[in-house]
Amino acid sequence: MIEGGLFYILVNVAFNIGIYLILSLSLNIETGFTNIPQFGRLTAALVGSIAVGGVIGRVAAMLAGQSTGEEFIKANAHVISEVNSYLSINPHASILLLILALVTSVLLGALIGLLTALPALRLKEAYLGITLLSFGEILRTFTYNYEPLIGGTLGVLTPAFLGFATEFETVALLLFVILMAVSCFAVAERISKSPLGRVMRAVRDSELAIQVYGRSSMRVKIYAIVIGSAMAALAGALYTIFTKTSRADVFTRYSWTFLPWAYIMLGGVGNNLGVTLAVIIMSIARSMISIYKHEISGYLFNIDATWLEYILMGLVIILITMFRPQGMMPERPTFTLSRGRIEEVRKRVLGERASS
Amino acid sequence: MSSSQCIDGKTLCTPEMMFEKGVLRMLVIVLTSLAYASILAIGCAAITLLYTSTRVFNFAHASMVSWGFYLTYIFYRLTRFSPYLFMPLATLIVGLYGVAIYLLVIKRLIHVKASEITLMMVTLGVDFMLFAFLNILIDFFYYNFRWDIKTVNIVLRDPTLVSIADTDIKAIYVVAPIVALLLLLLMHMFLTKTNTGIAMRASIENPTLSSILGIDVDRVYILAWFIGGLFAGLSGSLLTMLMQGSSTIGSDIIVMYFAGSIVGGLQSILGGLFGGLLVGLSERLLSYSLSSIFPWIYSYRFVIPLSMLVATLLIYPRGLAGLVERR
Repeated sequence: MIEGGLFYILVNVAFNIGIYLILSLSLNIETGFTNIPQFGRLTAALVGSIAVGGVIGRVAAMLAGQSTGEEFIKANAHVISEVNSYLSINPHASILLLILALVTSVLLGALIGLLTALPALRLKEAYLGITLLSFGEILRTFTYNYEPLIGGTLGVLTPAFLGFATEFETVALLLFVILMAVSCFAVAERISKSPLGRVMRAVRDSELAIQVYGRSSMRVKIYAIVIGSAMAALAGALYTIFTKTSRADVFTRYSWTFLPWAYIMLGGVGNNLGVTLAVIIMSIARSMISIYKHEISGYLFNIDATWLEYILMGLVIILITMFRPQGMMPERPTFTLSRGRIEEVRKRVLGERASS
Repeated sequence: MSSSQCIDGKTLCTPEMMFEKGVLRMLVIVLTSLAYASILAIGCAAITLLYTSTRVFNFAHASMVSWGFYLTYIFYRLTRFSPYLFMPLATLIVGLYGVAIYLLVIKRLIHVKASEITLMMVTLGVDFMLFAFLNILIDFFYYNFRWDIKTVNIVLRDPTLVSIADTDIKAIYVVAPIVALLLLLLMHMFLTKTNTGIAMRASIENPTLSSILGIDVDRVYILAWFIGGLFAGLSGSLLTMLMQGSSTIGSDIIVMYFAGSIVGGLQSILGGLFGGLLVGLSERLLSYSLSSIFPWIYSYRFVIPLSMLVATLLIYPRGLAGLVERR
């Protein structure tokens, strides 16, 4: 086992990278590929958290023979501790529940994406951005005040899905988060290189041209929002599973919408690899600031390191937009076939032409 | 009924006194709502002005409001004079912030024809920095003067104008609506009667054409950002007399400002003022009046303006300004 403090730092950094990678990639699909100003990234993430805390938490309580009604909220700590002791001796049920939790959150995320896309997509640019932002604020205010869902202001605890792994639980959960982040990267790359991804980019570059060629730009945008929201819901769900609490006030505009925006702008809008690089760099920077906050503020006239993080984020956004709007790694044209394969096809076509 | 205590808490209530008490309570609620709505309206005018002139949907408005709020408080705390005396100064400083933001950041981006979304994002970056600097200032006063000003409440410093049967009519109830009304008149006069105002309207409508006609569009934009900053600062400054707040006061209610300016239509400053008024009044009055029937509704009061925003955008995206537009 690694030494305590260092272990904590590594877990913190890796967890942040995992969650923000999924969030930023989901935003990249919507904003980078399709040019939808998604200022309501937190909506889907919160729905993912509700799916775990409010829905699957109750399913687990039912399995463990606990109450799912009023008592689930009122005596939440008791119910969840009973659930956890049930899950710790039933690894099969735990893993099944974990998979169910992820599937539910992805489905509900896609649904909320569709529900927000249908009315909002009639609008454009700033208007669309503000509408999506408002949807997020409405959902957050509602969840924060409506107790029966995830306990309102206090939130609810969520079951320890990998509780049977005892002392390796944190590591197992972390590996799971990383695995999900890698799969999301694969999905985002696959979309980027698929016909759908190319149509998305075409919508971004010229909506008129896409309509001339008989494609519905509306439909492409809806696909983008649905896929992006499903992914963001996964991030929200994983965050909730790892931290074992589901609370509406965690899902702030800053952490769940604006930070992913800053990351994709830094990395390069539309470039998955660039976004990944930005997430890794900035997550490490943020974790370092929060870990060494006392040392840093000691050097800098007692300025609290929390504010330094805001200054850093603000500077990154301003400098990138002003001096390098294409980001660290600019988007490149994607080729669906490898160079060798293209050469081969070219030779064959030339050969056919020569023989005819 | 007869057992209930009355206004001064000693005598028993007659039905007339009960009625009077109810009316006074209602009056205070209406006046607070009106003051709040007027303050909101001033901020909405700022957002609308910046959007119409430079196509920037200003996220930094949030921290500019917070700065107005805190500067007023700090000046008051340093001198112990009435906060009203320092409102013009605080407002002016935030107005200069507006100019600085334009000159340092926005000008270059407008020059390279950045998209609306890029402009929005860059003001978000500015907002983070202004927010951080404000908090550093707050910490500075903590370390050097031992002022604990993480949350600030000087509502009680607001002088009472009249007191009717133990119900105080505060100065802000009168000042805020009058200031909003004055600004409405001044902006109208400025935009229709003065050369600069007409130049501003011309550059908003067609920047290329107006620059051909010899209008310095850049200077007009600086002026727009100055006025935008002034209004944001004034809005925050007046808020000190109405509610308690921390450095997040601007970002807590920024969505209300957005809602007001979009309900107003984002096209004319007057529309923005009216939109803010409408949103503010509906948030306060509607939730108060409905809360007697549904007590739980008060916690959800933020949902009312947001729903108004979404409804306006979906049903009539041109907002209030679209209704009165000259054909």
